[in-house]
Amino acid sequence: MIDTLIPTPTDTAEPAVEERTPKMSARDVKVFYGAKEALKGVSIDIHDDRVTAFIGPSGCGKSTFLRCLNRMNDTIPSARVTGTIELDGEDINSAAMDVVQLRARVGMVFQKPNPFPKSIFENVAYGPRIHGLAENKSELEAIVEKSLKRAGLWDEVKDRLNESGTALSGGQQQRLCIARAIAVDPEVILMDEPCSALDPIATAKIEELIHELRGRYAIAIVTHNMQQAARVSQRTAFFHLGEMVEYGKTSDIFTNPREQRTQDYITGRYG
Amino acid sequence: MSSRAASRWTDGSMGKRVAKRYAAERRFRLFGLAAVGLSLAFLAFLLITMLMKGIGGLSLEFLSNSDATEAANAGVWGALKGSLLTILVTMAIAFPIGVLSALYLEEFAPRNRWTDLIEVSINNLAAVPSIIFGLLGLAVFLNFMHLPRSAPLVGGLTLALMTMPVIVIAGRNAIKSVPPSIRDAALGVGASKMQVVFHHVLPLALPGILTGTIIGMARALGETAPLLMIGMRAFIATPPRGITDPSSVLPVQIFLWSDEVDRAFVEKTSAAIIVLLIFMLLMNGLAIYLRNKFERRW
Ligand SMILES: Nc1ncnc2c1ncn2[C@@H]1O[C@H](COP(=O)(O)OP(=O)(O)OP(=O)(O)O)[C@@H](O)[C@H]1O
Ligand SMILES: [Mg+2]
Repeated sequence: MIDTLIPTPTDTAEPAVEERTPKMSARDVKVFYGAKEALKGVSIDIHDDRVTAFIGPSGCGKSTFLRCLNRMNDTIPSARVTGTIELDGEDINSAAMDVVQLRARVGMVFQKPNPFPKSIFENVAYGPRIHGLAENKSELEAIVEKSLKRAGLWDEVKDRLNESGTALSGGQQQRLCIARAIAVDPEVILMDEPCSALDPIATAKIEELIHELRGRYAIAIVTHNMQQAARVSQRTAFFHLGEMVEYGKTSDIFTNPREQRTQDYITGRYG
Repeated sequence: MSSRAASRWTDGSMGKRVAKRYAAERRFRLFGLAAVGLSLAFLAFLLITMLMKGIGGLSLEFLSNSDATEAANAGVWGALKGSLLTILVTMAIAFPIGVLSALYLEEFAPRNRWTDLIEVSINNLAAVPSIIFGLLGLAVFLNFMHLPRSAPLVGGLTLALMTMPVIVIAGRNAIKSVPPSIRDAALGVGASKMQVVFHHVLPLALPGILTGTIIGMARALGETAPLLMIGMRAFIATPPRGITDPSSVLPVQIFLWSDEVDRAFVEKTSAAIIVLLIFMLLMNGLAIYLRNKFERRW
């Protein structure tokens, strides 16, 4: 609660929320693609009301880790995940966890905007419809409108909800994908480089959106853009060669990192 | 580094290279045109000779009569109806089974030695000569299952065996070409595997599947050999009333008439070919119409 009242994302005077149980917690997560170990034991907590950024050089395993959190790695036949990941204290890899429900609770926005080749309305309505979140058409319309408004896209598309989602610009498509993700009312939103295909203006809109969504959802975002991580996140994890090198307050990571490798990366000595 | 040499864009040798490139392009266009012209010429030759020989034989009577011993009374209706019924049986069997097999193999089956084996077998089946399918139909449907001889049911089943691999292969290719990002998107909002397949993958793959199916159907429509094997070569003077009645089909009818000694059947043969070609044209038109109707971009 207190967290949501703090306006600036890089605020250092955070209360002792660490004692709260985290929304998601990963312990010693390892991922193997065949025999290759892509992730070498990562432990991270992701909290409500807070944006967690994952940074690190290309190929270090950020996407791999993100995809563990909603078990998207299940779709890769060669991938094997060990360790435990909990959502609200429940093991997401246990037999009792329904993976379909997990993915509704832990939504995902992909690096490349991937709207369905259907109408804008259908794109957003799809999730609520398959999960039976709306009793009737007007409820569904209300969900679609609310989601598009939250994604900051409503004003641009409200007169053409029946047009194809693929006809939108790249930035609009990405906001459509965000609207689609929040339409099922998830608890966590994972974003894998959501702005990498966007221009600075569209990027600014998405960052603004992340600010607005913070407090309602736990957000984890992968980014290559250091400034972006600094702007939008309160916690940052630095990955390097499959290891999580350092995890802490974003302000600490950027101004006062403990590890030399982190220091080298954020000052652009390698990447 | 001879970076200077390459930057002289306007001197003579560069001009010569450009001229050579243009000449190559012209040559290629000429050869391409010649290739298209050659196949068009053959098609035109076929159409014109058929039309000249057969157009006189096309009449309402010809279209509504069935086969007869007298050339004057012989018509194509029985064979046309037989073809229609046969192709309907083929469609009803081959399409759902082919599409389900393609979906299962692409989306659900694990990748292992068994599925590799199945894949190879299906590719081989598509290349098996049609007469072999006729023998298979004879052995299984007639001698073992005792289904009625010469009937569109058995003809359709036999052609379905032949068409299925084509549909499976076309279907798998169409399914493969659906971008994985669409699957991720649907899984990402919590769609189940079945929902991903039936809400997203299948609709997007449908144009490709339909095209493949109709090409397979058109091939089945023109098949003669396997139908001869299951007895669809009998002289049948009444049109079939259902799929279990003895019947002929267009290509077999053409084959039979072309064998007649009576000169009057030459015209009948050509007229029947025209009917068959129009039938195929309609099917291909349908294929294009359906493809355009369902085509979506992403
Ligand atoms: N499907 C896969 N099969 C095999 N190896 C993979 C697969 N996906 C990723 N990898 C490997 O796992 C490692 C981590 O990849 P990952 O995609 O997580 O990196 P990343 O940090 O997201 O990089 P980027 O910033 O370029 O997106 C890489 O070495 C990559 O080659
Ligand atoms: Mg990545």
